[in-house]
Amino acid sequence: MEYIDSIPIYLQIKDILYRKIISNEYELGSQLPSVRQLAVQFSANTNTVQKSLKEMMEEKVIIPQRGKGNFVTEDEQIINKLRSHIVNEMFDATYDKLHSLNMNDQEIIDSFKNYVKQRDEGDE
Amino acid sequence: MSKVLEIKDLRYKKNHKVILDKVNLSLDNGKIVGLLGANGAGKTTLMRLIVGLNSKTSGQITVAGVESKEAIKSCVSTTYSLKSAFKDVFANSWLERTRIKDIVKFYQTVYPDFSLDKYQEMADFLALDSRQNLKNLSTGETEKLTIALTLARQVQLYLLDEPLNGIDIMTRKKIIKSIIQWKNEEATMIISSHYVKEIAALLDDVIIIKDQTIYEVDSVEEIQNKYHLGVEAYYEQVYGGGSADE
Repeated sequence: MEYIDSIPIYLQIKDILYRKIISNEYELGSQLPSVRQLAVQFSANTNTVQKSLKEMMEEKVIIPQRGKGNFVTEDEQIINKLRSHIVNEMFDATYDKLHSLNMNDQEIIDSFKNYVKQRDEGDE
Repeated sequence: MSKVLEIKDLRYKKNHKVILDKVNLSLDNGKIVGLLGANGAGKTTLMRLIVGLNSKTSGQITVAGVESKEAIKSCVSTTYSLKSAFKDVFANSWLERTRIKDIVKFYQTVYPDFSLDKYQEMADFLALDSRQNLKNLSTGETEKLTIALTLARQVQLYLLDEPLNGIDIMTRKKIIKSIIQWKNEEATMIISSHYVKEIAALLDDVIIIKDQTIYEVDSVEEIQNKYHLGVEAYYEQVYGGGSADE
């Protein structure tokens, strides 16, 4: 596991788990691996993983069930919100960079459409 | 949380030279703590003092509430035991025909807290063959055996001195994973290592030793939040540009 040195590891683990949830690798309502299993998988301290999970619980994305472990919420709205949050985060950096090239919103949208089109053609 | 280790005003002199001085430390249960410091800073000395292999000049060391050397030995598992066992019990001719399973049996006899089940799980994970002869073990295999034996003891405090030295990256990763998998939740572990970056995600806290004493104890997260630096970068800064506090 490669982490970014200067960012708290629990945040990075939370981020990875969130991406797995919105990409449906961990499906709605499914059980997450145990803290220890996740810690081994992420080569991280169990206390750190515990902290990631605690925040995910506070954000209601996962729900603990006594004696059973942690489950992904079945509430699609929460997941959708999470998805748009993560997508926005990804766009933030790109949008700012394009703006700094003196492009206006319409030009950014057009060039993105163009980009997607070119990629699709490239795939064929 | 109760304290698993408490050190008060520890001082250690060797041949009239002060090696460690004014060392104060207090560790909670259930932590993994990195012990960082340049070569010769006193990391190994501190670990040996905790377990009583070196005798302190003055000060107080308490492990899980006990102070006598004998009592401390029964609640601390260290990577030194094996190395001294190699030297003393299994000296030369013995080593020639001693197999891994013999030293496992030796551990079972000497340490009532040794869990054979736990050892076996780790040995399987680390691919240790119990029939192998000790003298034929590579550096990596010796370190894997040391880790498995040390962690198979069920104690409150584990001291691992440079468990990753001289080992290839795949084995280092396996050793790190086995530490995460098999450390008891309640136990605390101190690990010294120069592979600061590799073990950063494993650690709750770091202790930095500098100028014959404990320069700083901080959580990895605090270091990242306070200084916006990784543990390794911070540690380098402490050693490299560290004139600000002097």
